[in-house]
Amino acid sequence: MGGVPNEASSREGLFSFLSRRRFLKVSLVAGGAVLGLGGGGLLALRGRAPNVDGLRVLDAHEYRTLQSLVEVMLPKTDAIPIDAASMDLPRQFDDFLADEPEQNVRDLQKALVLIEFGPLVFDKKLTTFSRLDVAERTAHWNEWSLSDNLLRRQVSIATRKFFHLVYFDQEQVWPYIGYPGPSMKRTPGVMP
Amino acid sequence: MAVYWLPGAVHETHAGGHAMTGGITDLSKQPLPEAITTEICIIGSGCGGATAARLLAEAGHEIVVLEEGRDLIGPERTQRDSAMYDQLYMDRAGRASHDLSVDILQGRVLGGGGVINTCDVVPIPEGVLHHWATKYGLEDFAPERFERFTDDALGDLSASRIPESLVNTANNKLRLGAEGLGLRGEVMMHNRVGCRGLGTCMLGCPVHAKRNPRMVALPKAVEAGARIFTRARAVKIGKASQEFKEITVRTLDPKGYHEQSELKVRAKIVIVAANAIASAQLLLRSGVGNAHVGKNLILQPQLAIIGMFDERIAAFDGIPQSYAVTEFEEEDNAEFGLWGYRIEGIMGTPGIVSTMLPFSGAAGMENMTEYDQMAPSLLLVPDAPSGQVEIGRGGQLTVHYEQREDHRTRLRQAVEVAAKVYLEAGAREVLVPTRPPLIIRSAREAKKGRELTLAPATVPMISAHQQGTVRFAASERDGGADLNGQVYGTRDVYVFDSSGYPTSAASHTMTPIIASSRMLTTKLLARI
Repeated sequence: MGGVPNEASSREGLFSFLSRRRFLKVSLVAGGAVLGLGGGGLLALRGRAPNVDGLRVLDAHEYRTLQSLVEVMLPKTDAIPIDAASMDLPRQFDDFLADEPEQNVRDLQKALVLIEFGPLVFDKKLTTFSRLDVAERTAHWNEWSLSDNLLRRQVSIATRKFFHLVYFDQEQVWPYIGYPGPSMKRTPGVMP
Repeated sequence: MAVYWLPGAVHETHAGGHAMTGGITDLSKQPLPEAITTEICIIGSGCGGATAARLLAEAGHEIVVLEEGRDLIGPERTQRDSAMYDQLYMDRAGRASHDLSVDILQGRVLGGGGVINTCDVVPIPEGVLHHWATKYGLEDFAPERFERFTDDALGDLSASRIPESLVNTANNKLRLGAEGLGLRGEVMMHNRVGCRGLGTCMLGCPVHAKRNPRMVALPKAVEAGARIFTRARAVKIGKASQEFKEITVRTLDPKGYHEQSELKVRAKIVIVAANAIASAQLLLRSGVGNAHVGKNLILQPQLAIIGMFDERIAAFDGIPQSYAVTEFEEEDNAEFGLWGYRIEGIMGTPGIVSTMLPFSGAAGMENMTEYDQMAPSLLLVPDAPSGQVEIGRGGQLTVHYEQREDHRTRLRQAVEVAAKVYLEAGAREVLVPTRPPLIIRSAREAKKGRELTLAPATVPMISAHQQGTVRFAASERDGGADLNGQVYGTRDVYVFDSSGYPTSAASHTMTPIIASSRMLTTKLLARI
């Protein structure tokens, strides 16, 4: 992550709203389910994530949470048959994070914990986000943007901002949305 | 030695720089100068800073400009979402209010906000100038005294009315609907010359059609001897001696992600013009100024609304913002000056548009397949000062902002009117990107706009016109800077940007900032 130690002081990130105090408060308000289960129980519930090589910031569990998220946030459909997973958006997010101040990275990691244990914390289900099947996960994730809980809406906005921006910036998506690409390349006499 | 293209001339950069030899030095790539000493140091190269740099340099003063962004020009402006939002915007376009209710768009590039704006030339309305002069005692802003500075600013910008031939289909839909409903509107003024209608103004113009600070004031400043340092983040203003201030500057890596090393710039006069948030942030971190610094933040949050048409609109081609419905704009509200609201066409590249749409999953993908059938508008609703820039104990910036009920009320009214306008123009439906989304299919349904709760983080609002954090005032009791822009409690530390505005200056701030910087610089020149 580099940089001088006080670098974070001048920058604000997508997840800077997610202070540690706030995160714990939300967890507790949600019924203490996370704390009640204890650290060992949580680890068991989360299970093992497949190893992923070459990550700069995220660990395998965080990567899996993001893969699970992208799968429901930007699904392959008849309308746009481009699989977001094939773009490896979580790895692009990992690259993005590698150049963010450490505090922003820590905030994001808290958000990922909250997403992964969202079914337990918010729905009282003894499972995790990545273990839900696609239909359940889709329904669960849709609730985040509509929730009465401000923090859930914030996490939804912040994650959407990154993944949507990157996904729809991919050339292979453009034919399906009627976008002919950067005008510079299709306007005579503009390119040097 | 790199060569930089500037209109009408080629300027060479100078690695170390020396007095009265102008140039642009990228501190991420060049060896650090041992120390920089100058008469006047300007922090920020946008509309306020560049204008001051030019006028002061042309008057023979020794100028150093510090800019956190880099000089990103020509085909480097790739028109791609990911790369350009990352490189041209503050915090990689991640800056937002404390509760994520408002995305804060702030330039971080040589030339500042003028590089990434949509070229809207809107001077401070006479009613606002009168309001400031009478209610706040800002006598230099009285219409008859300020007029010449506005005229000069319009000259700097080569301002003109957008030609009819460049009003694209999306903006013509807005006009068609407004005219059908008998609403007043206008084709807007802009600062483009030789526009090719490439459509990605918010990602910087690849052909440099914008007559912005990067293309006008900064080249003239360099020509007159100003030295510009990019990838130079000013983090603190301190005192070096009775005569000199000392600015602590951290250099950044070429991408601007990480701080690399530190140097000191010594200057007799410091002009802060880094944007209303960043200027206040710097003063607060420096412990400079009085209790007003950071307060009275104006974000002027805007909301996009989208007319969905059955035919192809291709709003991404041509000038994105060329027509405005001005029927409901007030410029002389007794309490706030600029008030009411206006509706302006807008469009963005696919990535940024998709982030604002309200649908998730498969519904979101389906919605984006109609990207080329969208005609979006921005609802520009001026706000009363209701935010605050704060620096935490660890030095972390927080932008507090609470949307006031009067802002919500006018935003709801604007939603209702804009929906009727698009339906009048033939839209199949109008999409209001709230969570949950509101879809309006008839004029009668437009009344649903009045019921929107607009709770925090349910509406993708954006701020492009931050103002008011170091309010100009005749007395230290009422503001953070005096009528010369000098920060109270300091000698020769000034703010020359929108930080000084007591209320919202205009629906777009480029022209106001250039004009007020011209006025403040003229006053400074009379004293030094």
